[in-house]
Amino acid sequence: MNIAKQIKTLLQEAELYRSQGLLDEALVKYHHAEDLIRRHEQLKNRLNLIDAVSKKIRRLKDEIQRIENAPKKPEVSTKIQDLIKKLFTFTPNLNEDARALEGAVALAKFGQFKRAILEFKALLKRDSLRVAAAKNIIRCHMALSSVDDAVAEYEQWLSDNIFLPNQQQRLWIFFENVLNKEGIDKILPQAKMFPHDVKDQTYEDDRLKIEEVKIEDEEDLDINSIGITFERGSLKEQIFEFKVRFQLGKVLSLLISGREKDLIENFKVGTTINDVQYYSNIAFFNGSGLITAVKKIKIGPLRGDYCVDIEAAIS
Amino acid sequence: MAIFNFKKREIECKIVYYGPGRCGKTTNMEYIFKTFKKQVVGEMVSIDTEGDRTLFFDFLPIGLGKIKGFDIKVQVYTVPGQVQYRSTRKLVLKGVDGVIFVADSLAVRREKNMVSLKDLQHNLKEYGLNIFKIPLVMQHNKRDLAGQGFPIMSVEQMEKDLNRQLKVPSFPASAIIGQGVGATLKECLKLTLVSFRKNLQLGR
Repeated sequence: MNIAKQIKTLLQEAELYRSQGLLDEALVKYHHAEDLIRRHEQLKNRLNLIDAVSKKIRRLKDEIQRIENAPKKPEVSTKIQDLIKKLFTFTPNLNEDARALEGAVALAKFGQFKRAILEFKALLKRDSLRVAAAKNIIRCHMALSSVDDAVAEYEQWLSDNIFLPNQQQRLWIFFENVLNKEGIDKILPQAKMFPHDVKDQTYEDDRLKIEEVKIEDEEDLDINSIGITFERGSLKEQIFEFKVRFQLGKVLSLLISGREKDLIENFKVGTTINDVQYYSNIAFFNGSGLITAVKKIKIGPLRGDYCVDIEAAIS
Repeated sequence: MAIFNFKKREIECKIVYYGPGRCGKTTNMEYIFKTFKKQVVGEMVSIDTEGDRTLFFDFLPIGLGKIKGFDIKVQVYTVPGQVQYRSTRKLVLKGVDGVIFVADSLAVRREKNMVSLKDLQHNLKEYGLNIFKIPLVMQHNKRDLAGQGFPIMSVEQMEKDLNRQLKVPSFPASAIIGQGVGATLKECLKLTLVSFRKNLQLGR
């Protein structure tokens, strides 16, 4: 094929790919055409051709840039947000509170942080969801890069005294961890001490007992599956979900195929995974997990697979 | 996962169109929305962004009428194909009952097809699902582009690349003109319902 024909074909292909929305492929063809034109000085109207193709490349690059710079998760209409809530609340037979929490979490997962914050704020009124809602509000503010709003919100909760002292402390630890992870140097107002650290326990003691029972309830939840995000190692920032094979109190046993060598290497006995989601029949909870055992199964049909025990710490 | 409501005698299932960016998933759904009016039971919701790319998902509710006394409702979704929307794809895939993998016939998209299929396998696995066991149908889309001067892959090549191990039913298609769209969806629905029946029998 002569050069002029080759260039014509390349330009046609570039236009076709562009018409299909395959902008990167179109760009490659334009660059190839431009390169050929530059290398063949004998071509008629060579400079005009270079100019025309360069303009097309520039326009295409602008278009690619515009697409790349468009917000990845923009706020959508209320109608669509309602649909997201409806379609992505999966767990059947949820009670009203748990359903509301799952709906708000779905909004946050789709990047609808402002609406999610409003929904989580409404959930602060529900005793059973208050801490989970507060943590998610902090997460949403952080996702919106509004650390100051997160801190202001947290301070407001402290001054309104809406959390029990141990809840305050859990929240403080959680928020501190979030800030540390993000490398943000902010001094948070200290939460109240646990009542057993305080000498005058008259009133607080009663509240603590109620809360202690609640925590025990949470710890005894049946967990069906868990989601783990590794913070380091070869699988850093990757999310994995596992079915729970069996549960003994807080210890959950997972089965991992022996072929998943990368995965198994990331489970080291004695280490804590800080980003774990625990899924129960009623809702899901965030927390951390301590790896207590990694055992290779030596007999039976699962021979060669691994059993990993994780001690759950639900926040 | 399908929702069986024995009281209302209703089965609700979820079909997801998967595939690389710009392969024609939304075009498939648009054609279904326009053509299968009898079955469509609600509005098609499409959330797209700059450059007509699907942002979160497309959604279309359809009804198949009664089968053995059960009202069959189907939620059809597409995922965003662009690589950077991995977490959204995973979210949309949650609870899936049947998958239609739309492959792009354009030769330049060969690698993207393979990467997307691998991504599907990975995401299914994360939900404890096996790509070899889930009801899956493959569509080789954009066959019409050969006539417009685009270099496209042969069906044999695509089968070798994508379906050699899976051996799932596959259909040549041109979603833009509706060719192969209905057949692909029907096959996926058929496989999904057969899979329900099997699971129900096992559960008895």
